[in-house]
Amino acid sequence: MSVNYTSVLWNKQKKGYDKILWLGILLMIVCFVAFQLMFHPEITAETLLIRATAITAFVLLHIILSIGPLSRLNTKFLPLLYNRRHLGVSMFIIALIHGAFSIIQFHALGDLNPIVSVFTSNQHYSEISAFPFQILGIFALVILFFMAATSHDFWLNNLSPRIWKILHMGVYVAYGLLVLHVALGALQYESHPMYWVLLIGGFAAISSLHIIAGIKENKRLSGEKSFSKEDKFYQVCSVSDIPDNCAKVVVLEGENIAIFKYDGKLSAVHNVCKHQMGPLGEGKIVDGCITCPWHGYQYKPEDGQAPAPFTEKLKTFELKVLDGNVWVNPIPKEEGTFVEPVKLEEV
Amino acid sequence: MSKNEFYIGWQEEIPPSNKNFIRNILIGIFLLIPVLVFAVVSFQKPMNHHHFEFGTSTELTGIYNSEPFPILQVTSGVPEGYSKDVLLVGFGKFGAQEIISNIENENGSLNGKEVTLNGTLIYGDGVTLIELTDQNESFIDAKEIDKEYLGLKTKSMDVTLKGEILDPKCYFGVMKPGEGKIHKSCAIRCISGGIPPVMRVLKEDGISYHYYLVKGENGQTINKEVLPYVAETISVSGMSSVQNGWNVLEVDLESIDRK
Repeated sequence: MSVNYTSVLWNKQKKGYDKILWLGILLMIVCFVAFQLMFHPEITAETLLIRATAITAFVLLHIILSIGPLSRLNTKFLPLLYNRRHLGVSMFIIALIHGAFSIIQFHALGDLNPIVSVFTSNQHYSEISAFPFQILGIFALVILFFMAATSHDFWLNNLSPRIWKILHMGVYVAYGLLVLHVALGALQYESHPMYWVLLIGGFAAISSLHIIAGIKENKRLSGEKSFSKEDKFYQVCSVSDIPDNCAKVVVLEGENIAIFKYDGKLSAVHNVCKHQMGPLGEGKIVDGCITCPWHGYQYKPEDGQAPAPFTEKLKTFELKVLDGNVWVNPIPKEEGTFVEPVKLEEV
Repeated sequence: MSKNEFYIGWQEEIPPSNKNFIRNILIGIFLLIPVLVFAVVSFQKPMNHHHFEFGTSTELTGIYNSEPFPILQVTSGVPEGYSKDVLLVGFGKFGAQEIISNIENENGSLNGKEVTLNGTLIYGDGVTLIELTDQNESFIDAKEIDKEYLGLKTKSMDVTLKGEILDPKCYFGVMKPGEGKIHKSCAIRCISGGIPPVMRVLKEDGISYHYYLVKGENGQTINKEVLPYVAETISVSGMSSVQNGWNVLEVDLESIDRK
């Protein structure tokens, strides 16, 4: 959370994350160089660099894309999610080295501007196997550039979380382009079936994780359609269904609502964090505040406001408890509106 | 994660159960990295043993001939087992024509003379090229020779060949690989820049190759015309001959068939 943009405080976790990340990147590059020199000592330094950065960036992208759904399926993965943007920016830097060096290697020192050459050298745009695969990589790199350049919270706040999120969903377009870049490029030359197994296997793994996480989320939502309604309130669960300092999440009339139980009270807020639209209902009450599981943004449960000096505000909802059952009115109050918490001992 | 544990990224410490879980995941990833990289590397196509003596200058003396492309027929100076009919290429993705033309503007025609040139050797699969790396340092000397040098080509014969047009500079040593789809754009730039197109044709033994310098039906250069077919398997008909130690294929462009 931030109110201005001073340099980021690198806490112990952040430092550890970056150390392990770059250790992994280094390990991959060292392994690649060592195995290449062992099996193919004839390789040139340029090819070594191009291939080492290609595989490292592509593997990193798979890890990045796995972290989201894995965290939805198992919250123990959350420490990998917290600094995921470091992974993203690192991956972009490595992909940029690959792209820039490939353009220099294959297109520079010729009779045409290298960038123009990328788009015009191979003109078989209407054929699949002969398609100029380099442009797919260029477009992916442009998307990844915008994502890396806007990864700071400055852009998140200025673009609005919704626009920022849409922009960063571009990673899936970039991934699709890169799968095609590999399939129509390297795999047209390196034709061993193992490469297709790895490429398709990677794609299948990423797709499956997203589908499984989606099914889980869908199940949760579809199981909550048959609530009884009285007046404007829906009966959603019993008080005992909500663990202390945790939430019950329901979707009613299109509103995603998290009902928190804490200190013998109940409060309901919009279930979407203002930072990166994280699922607040999967968070907990820490120090009296709702705490987002993704990046630790905090809000007071009774009015949905972030504690001073922070300024983020959530919509709030009215609750009541009858015969041990929790009822919620899905018509939201304005963001930051105080709603008296339901005191459980009184009911 | 126990019920009371909750991970928050901005806190100094990770809850123990998160920490143990992530540690195990990272150990798995770190063990998997060498296995994955090993698989990727070990299934790669083997690379050729062609050479580019980057950073090493060599002086070669021989008879210069501009046909079918600039060639220096040397008596010594190339590695053992490699052709002494050395194809000349320029720096970067350019042919040698411009450099030779500049030299000839200052020193008169080089054709049929004993010429000493300085450059960087490229050699592989019995073929030798020299890159005239530095325009100002490439030309050393040119001498008239006593006898008339003819450099005639042998009688031509009709052929239909199947193979790949590639740029010899990259293929014979500068790049690995210097062939196929991933090198296609580079080969197009090189041939567009004047490097002679070479057609690589698999021999009957299935493992070694014939190489043909590609020219037009009337002996004219057709570098621009062959660009759409570079780095692809094609079938082509034309007249085959040998000139100055190189196979030459005079191509009927209309016969080119992309397979």
